[in-house]
Amino acid sequence: MDGAVGRMTPGRWLGRAFAILILIVFVLFFIVPLVWLVLAPTKTDRQLLLEMPFAFGSFETLAANWTTLVTFQKGLIWTWIGNSAFYCLAALAITLIISIPAGYAMALTEFRGRRTLLAATLIVMLVPSTALVLPIFLELSAVKLIGNPLAAILPFSFFPFGVYLTYIYFSTAISRDLLDAARVDGANEFQVFTKIAMPLATPVIALVGFFNFTGNWNNYFLPYVTLPGRKSPVQVGLAELLSNVPAFNPTNAASTTISLSSLALGTLLAIAPVLIVFLFAQRYLVSGMTAGGIKG
Amino acid sequence: MNLLRTTVALSAIFVAGAAFAQDATGITVWADANRQPAVEAFIAAHPEVPVNLVVDDGSSGASGTFQTKISLADQAGEGWPDVVFSTQNNDAAWATKETNGVQPFAQVLNEGFLGDDFLKGFTPGALDPVTVDGKVYGLRNDLAPVLFWYNKTLLDGFGYTAPTTWEEYQALGDKLAADHPGYFLGGIGDAFEGPYIYYWSGQAPIFQLEGDTFKSNTTDPKAVKVSNLIDHMVANKSLTLDSVFGASFVATAANLVAIPGPAWYAGALFQNPGGVNAKAGDWVAAPPLYWEDGEKVTGNVGGGVWYASSHTTNPEAVKTFLQFIVSDPKVAGTGGLPAYQAAADAWLDGQAASGFYAGDFKAAINTAASSVWNGWGYPNFSPETSWAKIITPGLVAGKTMTDLSSDWQQEMKNEAQVVGYTVE
Amino acid sequence: MTTLDQPTARSTTSGRPAKAGRHSIERAQGRMGAAFVSLYTLFLLAFGVLPMLYAIYLAFTKKGAFVGVDNFLKVFRDYRFWPAVEHVGIFLVVWLVMLVVLVVLLSLLVHSIGIRWLSTGTRFLFYIPGALAGASSVMLWLFVLDPTVSPVGFMLRAFGSTSLVDAVQVDRLPFVLAVIAFWTGAGGWIVVMYGALNNIPKDVIEAARVDGARPIRIAWSIQIPLMRKWIAYMVIMSFAAGTQLFVEPRVLSQASRGVVGQDYSLNQLAFLYAFKQSDFNGSAAISLMLLVVALVLSVYFVFKGGLFERV
Repeated sequence: MDGAVGRMTPGRWLGRAFAILILIVFVLFFIVPLVWLVLAPTKTDRQLLLEMPFAFGSFETLAANWTTLVTFQKGLIWTWIGNSAFYCLAALAITLIISIPAGYAMALTEFRGRRTLLAATLIVMLVPSTALVLPIFLELSAVKLIGNPLAAILPFSFFPFGVYLTYIYFSTAISRDLLDAARVDGANEFQVFTKIAMPLATPVIALVGFFNFTGNWNNYFLPYVTLPGRKSPVQVGLAELLSNVPAFNPTNAASTTISLSSLALGTLLAIAPVLIVFLFAQRYLVSGMTAGGIKG
Repeated sequence: MNLLRTTVALSAIFVAGAAFAQDATGITVWADANRQPAVEAFIAAHPEVPVNLVVDDGSSGASGTFQTKISLADQAGEGWPDVVFSTQNNDAAWATKETNGVQPFAQVLNEGFLGDDFLKGFTPGALDPVTVDGKVYGLRNDLAPVLFWYNKTLLDGFGYTAPTTWEEYQALGDKLAADHPGYFLGGIGDAFEGPYIYYWSGQAPIFQLEGDTFKSNTTDPKAVKVSNLIDHMVANKSLTLDSVFGASFVATAANLVAIPGPAWYAGALFQNPGGVNAKAGDWVAAPPLYWEDGEKVTGNVGGGVWYASSHTTNPEAVKTFLQFIVSDPKVAGTGGLPAYQAAADAWLDGQAASGFYAGDFKAAINTAASSVWNGWGYPNFSPETSWAKIITPGLVAGKTMTDLSSDWQQEMKNEAQVVGYTVE
Repeated sequence: MTTLDQPTARSTTSGRPAKAGRHSIERAQGRMGAAFVSLYTLFLLAFGVLPMLYAIYLAFTKKGAFVGVDNFLKVFRDYRFWPAVEHVGIFLVVWLVMLVVLVVLLSLLVHSIGIRWLSTGTRFLFYIPGALAGASSVMLWLFVLDPTVSPVGFMLRAFGSTSLVDAVQVDRLPFVLAVIAFWTGAGGWIVVMYGALNNIPKDVIEAARVDGARPIRIAWSIQIPLMRKWIAYMVIMSFAAGTQLFVEPRVLSQASRGVVGQDYSLNQLAFLYAFKQSDFNGSAAISLMLLVVALVLSVYFVFKGGLFERV
């Protein structure tokens, strides 16, 4: 703690140096792989094997790797990214449409079964989404929805955590008195929601949207089983790309299709949207979003 | 948030999605990257048939890609390819069966689908692994008997003679290790080499099928002999643990003196700039090695198979494609020995004429092709998965085949049991 | 993003008694509330409850006929099942220990940084790998683990690994998987713990300091005990998520050409049952077991964990 100005005994000084060292080591641990990933596409495979890991290659190589990647099976990477965008954005819209009113209703209105619904939401929210993948697959398969974009969009849109966030937000950000005042002024229930609650809801919409979008974008298991083939989103496609990299599947060595550096570029491209969202959401995530401070 | 606006945006996305969901016409082909040039040759020769090539791993290493992806398509009720290439030749074991009420994937190719005259053109026996109860379910891409490849220039330079038996092969390893360390006689780093090249050639009864009974005995003298050979040669480094297609193997390829291996090494390993990249005239394809006390038989490494889908809506295009890909003299065999006789003759003559390989290439191949040991089984699983799981990491960790073979045997038996075979 | 699925620690004011004489408004509210949650309830039933019920149905039947626990017995007798349980178990132990020790340590350290922008920046750097979840994080780690291209190849070689196959050997794999999971998820937890630390009243710590307590002592006897609920939350969430291990070993299996088995984890086994053996009943049995573990943990935590006081 740095309030202890001026009373630095050698022991304290050592302790502090040690703490700083640990922090630096872990910052490196978290960041070095990313830095490497950003640099890898600027190099050829040979450079990757032989040169200093953190050297910059050249823009020409980057362009060449880019061409390899985007011409791979006639631009399949764009199909994958397009699929991801379609599933995630559609799911995002549906999630907001169903979660915001639901969270609002659970926080600020009384109706039968409210507590049951709240408890169920909490329980399902804590169950990891992968646990439900095979059951959801079996269910969708029984109703013949496998292979239909809905097989990703609908499960992606079920987001109990979002409902919970909204619920917490409305419970703390809006007082019932405010709503009551509006009612006294003659607003009906729907108007109370649209005129009073919605204008205040921007932060929570952003938050729910962020978690929903990033989680779905990175989801592998569910779309892997429910949307095979060309309908795969980019995370599944990335694993597909892997089987075309000779280093990891040597039987393809005869005709190199995707080089290591192109795979690195593909990985970078696949995470780009989430990375961008992360950068923009930085303030929320790191300061506003800290535990409990859901008010943003 | 404006609910109305979101709803409008949402419907727009749905419309866009519906448009993109439409599939292309023509035929969809799944094949590995090694088959890509052949498929491209077809596209060039038959512009009237649009081909959508999806490159996958060809199920190499028994990865199960083919079966898994078909299972997924079965569930989706769509998304089946029209033609599939698999490097494995035991897919008939599942592709000919109905699963959960979905028709078998593999199309019966005789009985009227393809002409009998055409099918008769295959080398006798070539279609046996894909024939069930008289029905032919796939077309072999190539035949893959194991022969013995050696670098004549290097051997002559060292003053050694080429081995003709496994015993001499091992002795050559000893000489190299003593006098020319760093030079080596092959690799055991891929899952296919151990089982198919070494054990199969040694008639080791470790992967046998009798009816529905799976048998494996790694303590049989014939198997022990092979295990000892491998252990001996791994210990003196005349066998490398690198994958023959891996970067470190390629980097040391100039030190490769000889290697037992399938006919498709011709194109995939030696005449491949990304592989050994051999110089014309250096390498000899010799008849397979034999054990002194054994029969004159050899092993077999795959020889991939083309399957047609029973779900195809474009059977005429599929027929055109299949006939071209297995029999066109320029592309059939995709670098190995074509299974289609006429194409094989053309390929052998071409190789002989090019003089790339020293020695009697044609005779060596023909000897190997006619002496594949027929005691190896084709059940619905592969020895490669258990090899990769038990042997590959075991050898890397310094264990020997002798240490590992009972675990390996158990793993194969377990796998057999899981897929429904009786195990002895 | 399970790692950030955090509940709030704050209790709020709600559920106050309704005032008398406002029945019509309450009826309107009831109708409106019910209408607002109806879509969500539908999704909850369709993608939360129904899949569970269907999995239960499949797990206890075979070709539509009730077979009792046969499917479970079959799975238990499968030679791959217990090794998979063991793999997942070892991974969980390694990962949870790593997570608890390091997340607590790092959040305390980050919290002690006095310079605001530095503290925020550090947290952000810890958090950013969270953008790479699933397949992409494994993809990146493949590069890191392959000594030939790895930026930290010297470290791998120091541990005696000269090839990817060697680096992902079965006895090393729990550590490898734990490191990958830690790299992706720890940042989120550090942010959460940091928030929990912020909620500790400053005067409590100041009082301790005036009494002469050193930072380590303050951490040990004041901060960590006050973080206990959050640590428990992290452990339970991570335990539940860890049992579900799938994408990491799957991609590693693909990349190591089968050295990492296709049957390494329980979810992979359930996957093989469904897509390799076409045995949906066996697959459902495995999924159901995993689901029950997750459900028990979650129900216990919701009602006993103390983070959701208003339920």
